[in-house]
Amino acid sequence: MPEPPSGVLDGGHVLLSGATGFLGQALLERLLSGCPTTRVTVLVRGRGSSSGADRLAGILRKSVFNRWTEQVGAAAVRAAVADRVRVVDAELGSSAVALPSDLTAVVHAASIVSFDPPIDDAFRTNVQGVIALYDAVRKAGGNPHVVHVSTAYVASARKGTVPEAALDHDADWRTELASASTARQQVENDSRRPAVLRRALVEARREHGKSGPQSVSTAAEKRRVEWVDKQLIEYGRLRAQSLGWPDVYTFTKALGERVAEEQLTGVLPLSVVRPAIVESALKHPYPGWIDGFKMADPLILAFGRGVLPEFPGLPDGVLDVIPVDIVVNAILAVADAPPPVDDPAYYHVGSGARNPLTFRAMYDNVREYFTNHPMPDGGRGQIKVPTWEFPGSRRVGRMLRTGERVLSVAHQALLHTPPNERTRRWQDDLHRAQGRLDFLRRYADLYGVYTEAEVVYPDARLLALHRALPPERQEEWGFDPAVIDWPHYLQRVHCPAITATVRKATSGRRSGRGALPPLAESSNGGVVAVFDLEGTLVASNVIESYLWARLADLPRLQWPGELADLARRLPRYLAAERRDRGEFIRTFVRRYAGAEEAALHRLVHDRLGDALLRRCHPEAIRRVRKHRAAGHRTVLITGTVDVLVRPLGVLFDEMVASRLHLRDGVYSGFLDAPPLVGEARAAWLRRFALAADVDLTRSYAYGDSYSDRPLLEAVGHPVAVNPDPHLYRHARSRRWPVAQWTAYTLRAGDALAETVR
Amino acid sequence: MSRPGFVLEVDERTPALLVHEGEGFGLRKLPLGSRVVYPPESLPGLRDVDAQIHRAVHHPLGRPPLPELLFAGMKLTIVFDDLSIPLPPMRTPDIRSRIIEQVLELAAAAGVDDVELIAANSLHRRMTPAELRRTVGERVYRSFFPHHLRNHDAEDRANLLEVGTTPHGEVVEINRRAAESDLIVYVNVTLTAMSGGAKSVSVGLGSYRSLKHHHNVHTLRHSRSFNDPPNSAMHHSYDRMAGVLDAHVKIFQIETTVNNDTFPSQLGFLNKREWEWSLRDQAAYLAVKRANELAPAGRRRQLWQRTVAPYGVTSVTAGAPAEVHEVTMRHVLRQQLTEVDGPADVGIFGLPYICPYNVNSIMNPILVMSLGLGYFFNLYRGQPIVRPGGVAIYYHPVRNEFHPVHHPSYIDFFEEVLAETTDPVAIEAKYEEQFATDPWYVHLYRNSYAYHGVHPLYMWYWGAHALEHLGEVIFVGGDRRTTARMGFRSASTLDDALEMAGDRVGRSPSITYLHAPPLTMADVR
Repeated sequence: MPEPPSGVLDGGHVLLSGATGFLGQALLERLLSGCPTTRVTVLVRGRGSSSGADRLAGILRKSVFNRWTEQVGAAAVRAAVADRVRVVDAELGSSAVALPSDLTAVVHAASIVSFDPPIDDAFRTNVQGVIALYDAVRKAGGNPHVVHVSTAYVASARKGTVPEAALDHDADWRTELASASTARQQVENDSRRPAVLRRALVEARREHGKSGPQSVSTAAEKRRVEWVDKQLIEYGRLRAQSLGWPDVYTFTKALGERVAEEQLTGVLPLSVVRPAIVESALKHPYPGWIDGFKMADPLILAFGRGVLPEFPGLPDGVLDVIPVDIVVNAILAVADAPPPVDDPAYYHVGSGARNPLTFRAMYDNVREYFTNHPMPDGGRGQIKVPTWEFPGSRRVGRMLRTGERVLSVAHQALLHTPPNERTRRWQDDLHRAQGRLDFLRRYADLYGVYTEAEVVYPDARLLALHRALPPERQEEWGFDPAVIDWPHYLQRVHCPAITATVRKATSGRRSGRGALPPLAESSNGGVVAVFDLEGTLVASNVIESYLWARLADLPRLQWPGELADLARRLPRYLAAERRDRGEFIRTFVRRYAGAEEAALHRLVHDRLGDALLRRCHPEAIRRVRKHRAAGHRTVLITGTVDVLVRPLGVLFDEMVASRLHLRDGVYSGFLDAPPLVGEARAAWLRRFALAADVDLTRSYAYGDSYSDRPLLEAVGHPVAVNPDPHLYRHARSRRWPVAQWTAYTLRAGDALAETVR
Repeated sequence: MSRPGFVLEVDERTPALLVHEGEGFGLRKLPLGSRVVYPPESLPGLRDVDAQIHRAVHHPLGRPPLPELLFAGMKLTIVFDDLSIPLPPMRTPDIRSRIIEQVLELAAAAGVDDVELIAANSLHRRMTPAELRRTVGERVYRSFFPHHLRNHDAEDRANLLEVGTTPHGEVVEINRRAAESDLIVYVNVTLTAMSGGAKSVSVGLGSYRSLKHHHNVHTLRHSRSFNDPPNSAMHHSYDRMAGVLDAHVKIFQIETTVNNDTFPSQLGFLNKREWEWSLRDQAAYLAVKRANELAPAGRRRQLWQRTVAPYGVTSVTAGAPAEVHEVTMRHVLRQQLTEVDGPADVGIFGLPYICPYNVNSIMNPILVMSLGLGYFFNLYRGQPIVRPGGVAIYYHPVRNEFHPVHHPSYIDFFEEVLAETTDPVAIEAKYEEQFATDPWYVHLYRNSYAYHGVHPLYMWYWGAHALEHLGEVIFVGGDRRTTARMGFRSASTLDDALEMAGDRVGRSPSITYLHAPPLTMADVR
């Protein structure tokens, strides 16, 4: 192994923040494996039930340590960690933070990773976090060299050359911080204004009205919370843009630098390192090491999957990509060269100045890679990658807007189509198209500035540092971006690394959606299987079963009159159904007024029982029976009149149906109790579960309509059966199994013909 | 005198021949040299059926005349074959109704009050009121339905009676009312050589406990064929059971046979030999075929199911079951038997739209199997028309369709059991008990119009002998997925099927086409 660095690292003590991040992991690995005399204190906060020490142990199990573990053995790694690594697990800014007093260097690599976080989150980490850390560092005493990791893009979206020097801007971080900290409160207050709430309610009612009032309020509240987040993101982005930064990320990083300068200049030596777009390792710990997907990777993957038909970006714009190991070497070299306390040093770590990668070259390489190594298309061969024309951001923007409008109209239209296999396929296609468009929109908005950049970040100071390394150490510890051979790096190192996991995931056959959940045996009756009737168990509906009952009993001469009357009232029924299923059932059962109980019972026994079976879905019946065989309690919930569903009684332990009100053996046309629909079903099920000692998380529910959503959500294993478009959309988003149970059911006409024959 | 059956050898002058293929048919050219088995021409029907009935009951074989068996205060049970025979259903008045009316008149004259009518539907679905009315006639129906005209319920434990056990340990359990009657009058239609005789009461009024002794894979593999009682293990079992019954109940059997007038006049060409078609027949063929193809599937099925046969009754015989059945068999064979000289490498069968279990219903894939490999394959005496290891080619679309009310256990059998195995022995061992005792199937059999849970398995056993005998089964025009699920292959044309069969039977196999319906039974020497 080559010589480790001398100076502050040799025998020194480094405080590292952000060790759980991509850059932090690489730094920690390099410090442990390459600097045997250096001690490291990592600043890791516990999260949830895992403490800071747990999280450190988690990092040590990551692939970044694989190479080192292979070389020296797991025992040696454990010993080195036990010997040289300490964890400080405390919230920065609190008085509990006690940093060691013998630090020789501080590397602040913690940062928020997202480009568009809500404004308060961004400030908390990127500004408040800096203040708190450096406060604590100063309090700890000692004279460590502070290396502040920033980003090249803090220079904001201007053209030309950005010097390796302090940023030139007038933004006042104190004012901005104060304002950002109160933004959430302000937006929260705003979100409770009647106008905002009304809009949320109206939209929620339109979408979820059939499901019931509770679903509506839940959805409305969810909308409000989403609105708050969106507003805060807007706050961040627009404030950043109004001051000249592309997004809140670079804005807060710039302010963070200012904080560091103000706090540390004249007190401790400060170096600011500004890496560009950090991507997978060129050599160390091994070529292609990466942790998760970084900025450019979703785009590369989307391109490889053939879903990026075009992208805004200047073909001659520079995409400033830099491998993570070069950044790590640069940071360690910088750490080893403290500047004077009153003169902070600035370094750019990027490839743009000396070895630029144009967007066009990037595209060519990625395209060549995917042409030679296409992505598998789930059992359907391989995916063809698109050819980009670079039409410019205006045209792409227009494309996006048109696409979004078309999709939105199509979505609405599909929600009103009859539910069947074909419309569901259309819905799937639309859903996919929407996903692609959303993705494109998001990345076009976010990364436009990075892919259209015409800025150069010269790295003369960093290069001087590199050249100052003894020649024998330059190979291992150097950080000259000129050594990167882009075609090699992109095609042999980076793309294979980021596509590896995705390839593994998609190489198999496209999994058939809608595999039904397996039925776990249960002998104690602690599991129920709840079935909706209409659309789920049988293909018929309230109107159809009424029709059977009526026509089977009526001389044929009187059929036209009955049918005409039904047709006349149909619009009213349909309108009621659209508003609320309960209202529809109430309206409809009025037709039973005057019918005799005994006669209806006889009719059901003699003829209608089989009519119901003619219209049943045999696959559904089989499923019910399987539940029984598995020891589950089976429950039928329906809004239909109980007399009519009695023939199915043998299959169910519990039947919940509407009961008609009786007066002297004659039906009055009213119900005995409110019909069980929508949320009432979920409520009934919860009450039943409580009384009967049922574990709903292990239970099953089957429904076909969006109004069954509360019922389906009440159990651990929901299944959407022949779902209507609304429910289908919901099932897809929740990854619920979708069953198509229509085989072998007689069509309504045939069934009616057999029934009244 | 009708012309006897004969075997045609296809030569250059032979026209395309009619082949049934489900709810449709077509004219197909067969390879030169193929043999075609035609049944004897339809025999003339009895001119005065009522008189023959009268004669039969007054001059029975092996029993005193019926009036002498009837007395006041007796318990009389009239049992009749259900809607599974004849096929297609007979034009009204059904022969059964004519017989029942005469029996009832005699009973009334003798002052018999306690009369029950029971359909011998065994494990078949119940007959609907409309179907009962059609079979027994309006007058009888009105007087007896619903309290004294019923379907047999093989799952009504309280109304079954174990009559005894055969020396082979076979339990004989039949309908209690019938077993406890002073006299059972059994009214039968014998369409094929397998039915009637000892089978009537022991099977028609039996229960699963009793039926499982002969409706099983072993018995059916040793029934060669089940249309040839002397060589049928199944009939040996029936005979033993009849022996037990003889000792306990008095059965007065009235058997009838019908001729080969299977199709009504508008479909008359289906009853004729192709080269004898008149211009009118040819025009009718074209018109019916075209209309049939154009009709929507549901309508097409309805039309076929409404077809009734203008059968002529060729015999009515009454008396002791065994003696009566001997006469009946002679009549059946006279109408259906055609001598064939040795088996062929390939047997071709055109399967029609109907079998005993889809009257007013849907012919599902399992029924296609049982019709093809069960009924049609077993239409032989001596040896099958296909040599061992040979290939059977069937014409049928084998659509994946089931009647949800009539055949619920068939659906589960097709979807779950056949997906796992098609081996009858494995199916019998693993699934028979489960399907036979499933409470839901029992409920549907008793209260709805479903075949018994075990029935699809019986249908599969029905083909067990053929499955063992044949090297390959190919369905021309069969739905690929459905035939594959049953372990068969499908071909789009006869040429393709013969090509596929080539591996087993070579390039120029000998071929026999069983030209049916009208029913033909091959006497293969």
